[in-house]
Amino acid sequence: MADFFLRSGRGLVTVMALFWLVFLVAPIVVTLASSFTSSTYLTFPPPGWSVRWYLSAFESEWVWSTFWNSVVIAVVSTTIAVALGIAAARVLARHRFYGRGAFEYAVLSPLIIPGVVVGFALLNVSVLIETQDAGLLNLIIGHTMVTTPFTLRSVWSSMAGSDISLEEAAQSLGATRWSAFWLIVFPLIVPGIVAGAIIAFTFSFNDVTISAFLSAREARTLPVELMSHIEYLPDPTPAAVSSLMIVITLAFFLLVERTVGLGVFADR
Amino acid sequence: MTAGRARGSGGRFPASLATPVLLAFAVFIVAPCIMLLVKGLEPTAETGEWPDFTNVLGVFDSKVGQQALNRTIRISLIVTVICLLAGYPVALFIARCGPRWRGLLLAVVIFPFLISAVVRAFGWTVLLGDSGLANKGLIALGLIDRPITLVQNEIGIIVGETHLLMPYMILSLLAVLQRIDPNLKHAAESLGASPVSVFWRIVIPLTLPGLLTGTLLVFSLAMTAFATPFLLGGGRTPILTTLLYDYAFTLFDWRLAASIGIVLLILGILFVTVHRFVSSRGMRSYG
Repeated sequence: MADFFLRSGRGLVTVMALFWLVFLVAPIVVTLASSFTSSTYLTFPPPGWSVRWYLSAFESEWVWSTFWNSVVIAVVSTTIAVALGIAAARVLARHRFYGRGAFEYAVLSPLIIPGVVVGFALLNVSVLIETQDAGLLNLIIGHTMVTTPFTLRSVWSSMAGSDISLEEAAQSLGATRWSAFWLIVFPLIVPGIVAGAIIAFTFSFNDVTISAFLSAREARTLPVELMSHIEYLPDPTPAAVSSLMIVITLAFFLLVERTVGLGVFADR
Repeated sequence: MTAGRARGSGGRFPASLATPVLLAFAVFIVAPCIMLLVKGLEPTAETGEWPDFTNVLGVFDSKVGQQALNRTIRISLIVTVICLLAGYPVALFIARCGPRWRGLLLAVVIFPFLISAVVRAFGWTVLLGDSGLANKGLIALGLIDRPITLVQNEIGIIVGETHLLMPYMILSLLAVLQRIDPNLKHAAESLGASPVSVFWRIVIPLTLPGLLTGTLLVFSLAMTAFATPFLLGGGRTPILTTLLYDYAFTLFDWRLAASIGIVLLILGILFVTVHRFVSSRGMRSYG
């Protein structure tokens, strides 16, 4: 009897788990599959296969211009977020001072404040100082602030594993503080920096919430532009663009998996 | 997360490192939020004095605001329950798998939450549309005669948010499931406990901290999600976040938008406080 319960219980868990795992990949698979449709409307499964919507995507001006906007924003904001993340991680990992808790709270606060609030609050400021048309700058600022907690966490956890006595030994042997940092600490935290940078880049490249508030007319990101095309364009070009975004994200995902492992995501 | 040993600087404020970071966050996070507070509490009437709470409270007095709040809470509760009921078997299954499969299944869980919300919403629009796979499946099963509306309404939001947030629940549960000593289960079984009672009396209590963390995380993220409900909810089912967007960009009433922002800000801080309290309690009692 117990054996029966055990086996049917396990079978039930397996069936439910498989159902929900399929649920998790379903929209991704459907997007990829329907982008290869030969028909002029979206349906799944497609009646026939073709790459015409990819050609259409590559020929669309809006795809290229917003793609480059997104790349520039992601590269610049990731670079600044990594620099801020390293500095903040160093402060938190090596120093004890009055107000350290407040410092940690401040730097991690973008994880606490809802994205719409960050986006709308920054929009308010840009209107006040009349920079609301500098879309690219506003987007870079917004993306930098919300991705810094990711780079901080990632670098911080790799610093926690490095031994401070190595640095002290280098300094007692005559290294300056800077060269001790570059020669001893930096190589040890490279995995943390790489992981943090990839997470920040992926977040920025795919973000909708912050970007929806800060995108100006001439500076829209690919996801925001894609959003309006999903609403208004009836042809499957957005499916091809979405699929390309999935492939880019997959490339970064595999990069993390091969280099530092998926633990960085599970460590939330 | 553990910090390294702190030595050397003996309590001095590390000004050269900390100042640029603090400055960035003061200017681009703290100051904008304070501005939002000022804006949301601006007096409505000419003669009113500054901290005027009528707008913030007024958000919930108006019919639209009241409905949006109710809808936000209702959807968040439903999504949390589904994530809990669905995430638990998935986490159990993954924890049971061998290392090779576990890696692959973890990838299946983690990958979707890196994908842009627009892309995922797009996938769901295709799947849940009138001629989509979901409607075809329901008709084939004989549950319905003709296609039912599954997107541009609350159902669409619930499906999309469940997809968005289930990974958080699964990862929270896996974190505690993997720490359970298998000998505990073996010991209980050898003492005559049935698999059912092993599950209810050993597995469930030991995963309670993960369950609580996952539940809080999913509920709070559901309350403040924007892109998914915006894309899958259509125009007629506003929740708090999409109502804020409407006030800001359709009605251009920024004072009301700021008032909703204040409410969302308070919710965000509230959830983190509760989460910290619960997780510190959880650690102590379940170590």
